[in-house]
Amino acid sequence: MKRIIRIELLKVQSYSTFWILTSLYFLILLSIFFSGKFFLDFLARKGESLGDIIDPSGIPIYDFPDVWHNITYVAGFLKFILAIYVIISITNEINYGTIRQNIMNGLSRWDFLLSKLVLVCFLSIISTLFIIAAGFILGFIYSGNREITDIITYMEFIPAYLLQITAYLIFALFIGLLIKRTGLSMGLLFLYTLIVEPIITFRIKTDWIKGLFPLKAINNLIRFPFKKYALREVQDYIAWDDTLIVSVYIIIFISLMYLILKKRDL
Amino acid sequence: MEHVLSINNITKNYGRITAVSNMSLDVSEGSVFGILGPNGSGKTTTLGIILDVINPTDGTFNWFRNFTRKENRQKIGSTLETPAFYPYLTGVQNLKIIADIKRINYDNIDKVLKDVGLYERKDYKYKTYSLGMKQRLAVASALLCDPKVMVLDEPTNGLDPQGIAEIREVIKDISKKGKTVILASHLLDEVQKVCTDFAVLNFGRLIYSGKVDEVSQEQQIVEVSSQNLTELEKAINKFSLKKSYDNEKDKIIVTLDRNMSVTDLNKYLVESGIIVTHLVVRKRSLEQKFLDILNESE
Repeated sequence: MKRIIRIELLKVQSYSTFWILTSLYFLILLSIFFSGKFFLDFLARKGESLGDIIDPSGIPIYDFPDVWHNITYVAGFLKFILAIYVIISITNEINYGTIRQNIMNGLSRWDFLLSKLVLVCFLSIISTLFIIAAGFILGFIYSGNREITDIITYMEFIPAYLLQITAYLIFALFIGLLIKRTGLSMGLLFLYTLIVEPIITFRIKTDWIKGLFPLKAINNLIRFPFKKYALREVQDYIAWDDTLIVSVYIIIFISLMYLILKKRDL
Repeated sequence: MEHVLSINNITKNYGRITAVSNMSLDVSEGSVFGILGPNGSGKTTTLGIILDVINPTDGTFNWFRNFTRKENRQKIGSTLETPAFYPYLTGVQNLKIIADIKRINYDNIDKVLKDVGLYERKDYKYKTYSLGMKQRLAVASALLCDPKVMVLDEPTNGLDPQGIAEIREVIKDISKKGKTVILASHLLDEVQKVCTDFAVLNFGRLIYSGKVDEVSQEQQIVEVSSQNLTELEKAINKFSLKKSYDNEKDKIIVTLDRNMSVTDLNKYLVESGIIVTHLVVRKRSLEQKFLDILNESE
């Protein structure tokens, strides 16, 4: 396993596309997290001039424990940037013929798949660690309550976020391996994410059936948190059935990828 | 001698096209085995199958008389078709990845890069390499693990004459160490110079396999010349142990019957009172043999 990790690290360490995309990802993440407060202040100033009753600048988006739910939800929107890199990585291996060379040199097909799953886990874990750090920093800067129980209450959103991003990147890896072409894979990923699945699920009235679709299931892990500031009910816990559905999808995608690699002539 | 590779009845279909048809082949240890064939005859498909990147439709193969495939591949140095490396990594970084895949340390990298004449450019990115340099890196990667067996697919493709000669030397060195080399090529001259055994494929079928030495021993071709060419031709015309003869400028080219040697011809000419000024045994080239084999198969 150490060997597989080292191989994948060697592949990314000098690849400028990797560094550009990951830095871009963290920069955008950082600017969104820290601009939340400024955005609310901006709304407040607008509201004042309009004579509004509620003061948006007072909304405690960074307060423990809500901060965990809020930032994991927002960060979820940016996972597509990491998905782009995952697609580039797998389609490169196919287009350069290096997947074939890797197998010829003595990786098994499973080893090769494992090396790409290592990449997915690496990106997911780095992203999650970044979220944890950001959560603590934002919380300690802005939060009114710093009770230890408050700080850790919603931290279950962290493993949920890790599962969410891992599942999405595995989905991207699957599309890349299936389609082989870089641009086409990215196009299909976005087409499916933004158009195909939303249209299909839009027509379905039953919530639990909607939740069986892969992206809906992945997004259901962390639900929209901000309604609570309008005093509406939100799901502020991680549901076991959502976790189960996503885990099953991960297993399905990994099995399908293994099957593709096994059957395909490289 | 021990077989390092046994192929048993391998078939590969691509839809309705049969790329390799019921092929069986053994490669013995220490041989330099040339696989010849015109374009599209199934050379690369065969190599792809024994290197585990193409799934055969039918049939089996095994290396070193065992079936542990991934461990076997780690002991084989191989190239297939065009060189395949990460373009954004340097030569050395690419070889490091291969060393990790083959579970060996990095100590050998500088040495193999020197062997193929790429040491000065080792820290340049692969995408800056010329085709010849890419080919050299591919050969270096095949040498990296000090392999028991090397499988090379057109290793001199795209190389300049100096490069071709260098790679040839590398292959000869390897085989001197008792290692086995399997070499696919359409350059017959190349196979004749480095190989001990060869096989000919056409339309996915194995149509011939034998020793390279035997080709030159099969039928002898002799060049003769004399002061009086017409007398010489008359004599040769009457000579019964020849297969055919041909005029070529100031020489006559005689193909002898199987098992007849130049001594028989010389003896006959002396007895006929003809004094030759030139008598040379032409080494029968693999090219002629190859074309004969292809013609017979059609």
